Formats: sequence, C-alpha cells, structure tokens
Amino acid sequence: MDNVIDIGSNALDFIKQQGGVVTVRLSPRYGCCGGLANIAVAEASTPADPSLYQSHRYEGVTLFIDPALVGQGLSINVEGWWKLRHLYVDGSPLNSGHTYTK
Amino acid sequence: MATQDTTSPSTAEGMGLFERYLSLWVALAIVAGILLGQLVPAVPETLSRFEVAQVSIPIAVLIWAMIFPMMAQIDFTSLLGVRRQPKGLTITTTVNWLIKPFTMFAIAWFFLMVVFRPLIPQELASQYLAGAILLGAAPCTAMVFVWSYLTRGDAAYTLVQVALNDIIMLFAFAPIVVFLLGISNIQVPWDTVALSVVLYIVIPLAAGYLTRQTLIAKRGPEWYDNVFMKRVGPITPIGLIITLVLLFAFQGEVILQNPLHIVLIAIPLIIQTFLIFFIAYGWAKAWRVPHNVAAPGAMVGASNFFELAVAAAIAIFGLQSGAALATVVGVLVEVPLMLALVRIANKTRHHFPAESA
Repeated sequence: MDNVIDIGSNALDFIKQQGGVVTVRLSPRYGCCGGLANIAVAEASTPADPSLYQSHRYEGVTLFIDPALVGQGLSINVEGWWKLRHLYVDGSPLNSGHTYTK
Repeated sequence: MATQDTTSPSTAEGMGLFERYLSLWVALAIVAGILLGQLVPAVPETLSRFEVAQVSIPIAVLIWAMIFPMMAQIDFTSLLGVRRQPKGLTITTTVNWLIKPFTMFAIAWFFLMVVFRPLIPQELASQYLAGAILLGAAPCTAMVFVWSYLTRGDAAYTLVQVALNDIIMLFAFAPIVVFLLGISNIQVPWDTVALSVVLYIVIPLAAGYLTRQTLIAKRGPEWYDNVFMKRVGPITPIGLIITLVLLFAFQGEVILQNPLHIVLIAIPLIIQTFLIFFIAYGWAKAWRVPHNVAAPGAMVGASNFFELAVAAAIAIFGLQSGAALATVVGVLVEVPLMLALVRIANKTRHHFPAESA
C-alpha cells in the first residue's frame, strides 16, 4: 500500500471495527470572499459511487481512494476517543478547488 | 536571495475570477450603493423600517447568509488533532488573540486619532477606530483555506486552527471588543455587544453545526460536501456584495462628504496586516516550524473575519456609522493584501525547515 497511501496500525484496527472499508476523498472548503480549496479526508464508509474511486485491498481492509490522492505520500491515522474517534489524513497540502487551464 | 518558488500553486488555481478581483466588485458595490441611496432614497428608507430591537431584519438575513455557509463547513471533530502541531497552534493562537487585537487598536489609534487628526473630525475618527477594533478581534475563519492552499499549507493543521479560532471567538470576541472600545472612550452597552455575538456568532455557529451533523447523518458526508455545500458555499460572497450595496445606500452622504477617508482608514489596516503576518511568520521561523504550518498560521492572523466585523459594527453602531464604513475598508483591501503575503510566503519557503509529514 506504500505506493497508494499509508495506513497506520491504529487506523487499520479502527477501520476494521467500523466494517473494514475506508474512503479517502477530497472535501471542498469555500472561502468567504469566494475561492475554493479541497482537503483530503478519510471516512470509514463506502463511497456513494465507488466507480469514481480507485479500490485496493490491504490487510483485510478495502480502500476507496480519489485517483488524485494516490501516491501523494499521504497517511491515514486515527485520533480522538469514544464516539469522537475519527480518521484523518496526514501529510496533505490543500488541493485546488478550481479547474485551471493555462 | 529569495528565489521564485515554482512548486506553489498559481493564484488562478485557488481563486476564480470573482475572488481575484474582489476589490473591484467591492468598489463597484460601493458605487452602486451610493447611487441607490442618492437616486432611490425610498429603498434604504423602507429597509430601515424593518427593525426589531434595533436589529435591521434585511441586514441580519444577509449577514446570516454570509456567515452560515462558513460555519456549516467547520468540522469541530478536527479539534481533537490539536496536539499534532503544538508550535504552530501556539504561535497562531497567541498572535490572533493576545497580540493582534491590541496592535490593531494601537496602530489604528495612532493614525486615526493622532496622525490624521487634522483630516478626520474627532467623533468620526472614534467611529473608524471602533471599526478597526472590530476587525482586529475577528481572525479569518474561511478564506484561510484558500490562502493555505496557495502557500501549500498543511490541510490538517489549517482545519484544526480554524475550528480552534471559532471556539475561542465565541468567548473572546465580546470581552476584547468591550475592553478596547472602553479604553478608547467609546461606551457601548454590554448587552448590545452580547446581542451581536449571539446573533452573528452563536446562532450561525449552532445552526451550521446542527445542519452539518443532521445532514451528514441522513445523507452522508459526500452528499453534504458535493451537493449541499456546493449550493450553499457560494452564497457567502453573494451575500457580502448585496450587504455592501445596502450598506452604502445608507452610507452615501458620509462617503460623498469624505471620500479621502477610505484611503486614510486603509493605511493603518494595511500596516496592521503586514505587521501581524511578520510577527507570526518570524516567530514560526525562530521556532523552526515547517513552512506548510508557518505560512497558513501567519495568514490566519493577518486576514480578518470581516463579515463578523461588518455585522457587529452594524449591530452596535448602526448602518450609517463610521465603524461600519471602517470594517468595509477591511473588505476592500483584503484580497490584494493577502495575495501579496502569499507571494512573500512562497518566495521565502526555503528559509524554513522541510515540510512536516
């Protein structure tokens, strides 16, 4: 999985507890003056449309990942406690939210 | 010598046509508002009748339209990551809340009450100072994602810093504003400031949080991001421009009598923006904070949550006040200033340690 995304051991355990599926996608954030940036987020659930993602199997976990995030040196980790425990993506700069043509 | 950083995104990638030329749209909104107020005075007169407890209902609706989308995208669970970038969070939180409001007050007071004393009547200068104080007490909450993107900032850190600032703002905005207005001899009743905090921070924050939690539980996070926020997110800048048109429909006389005042108000705001950026950025360099945290951290403090400042100025001092005008000057200079800071940050990237993982 090193070439796709790194998943920490605690995150792997958490994903398995939640059903063994993780989705890594881009989440938009809107600026107050306009503008848009995307943040990589991870959720322990199946995406609405799996065909839009690359899928991989890794140590009993099914990973769906936005192709734009593959091989970017990112890692999935887990933090928090009890019901606030959640996944996060580390090592990610923000991504463009605009279609850009030179 | 600084070198051009070729790995940084171009402005066009993070910002569309509207936001890159925001100053132009704001200037056009000022002109449109003044024309509306002068040519069709019935519009502001009619709107001013819709008031409850001195709160203009049309303006309150527009301000909620501006602020709610920002609050609806805040992920408060990201606060659990507060330990991940302790240096960056310490610097930015300290600069935002313990330094920025007070340097804004000091710089604005020096220019508006001392240097420009022959040019601005005392009463009006106090109002402009009040507007500057409101700007200084409200750090950026949404646009920082764009500034962070343009400097290749760390996404996880930016999320945590924004959520942390919004929580602090809930408790710190009113006391800081009342304290600084008090030492400026501008007396405002606590209940008026408290009402503006409830109307323009507590209610949108609670509504945003509840909307986010409810819709994600019902429809899933992808639907929320890609359908709901896609519709709601762009409302903020539209609400901003309409608010400015209405604001200047009320402000027309003040502007026409004192057009130079916009430039005079802008001077301390510009100095403050650069000062705060360099305090946070220099501190981050001294603490060897990685550039992908140092740059967005410095941007958060330099940039203002001007929707809140505009809203509070209107709620506390009124639509026709000098305070409201001063907060709008903050909007006018925001984007060009911040893009200049983005360029500085990108050209000085090599002075900082390698990016954190």
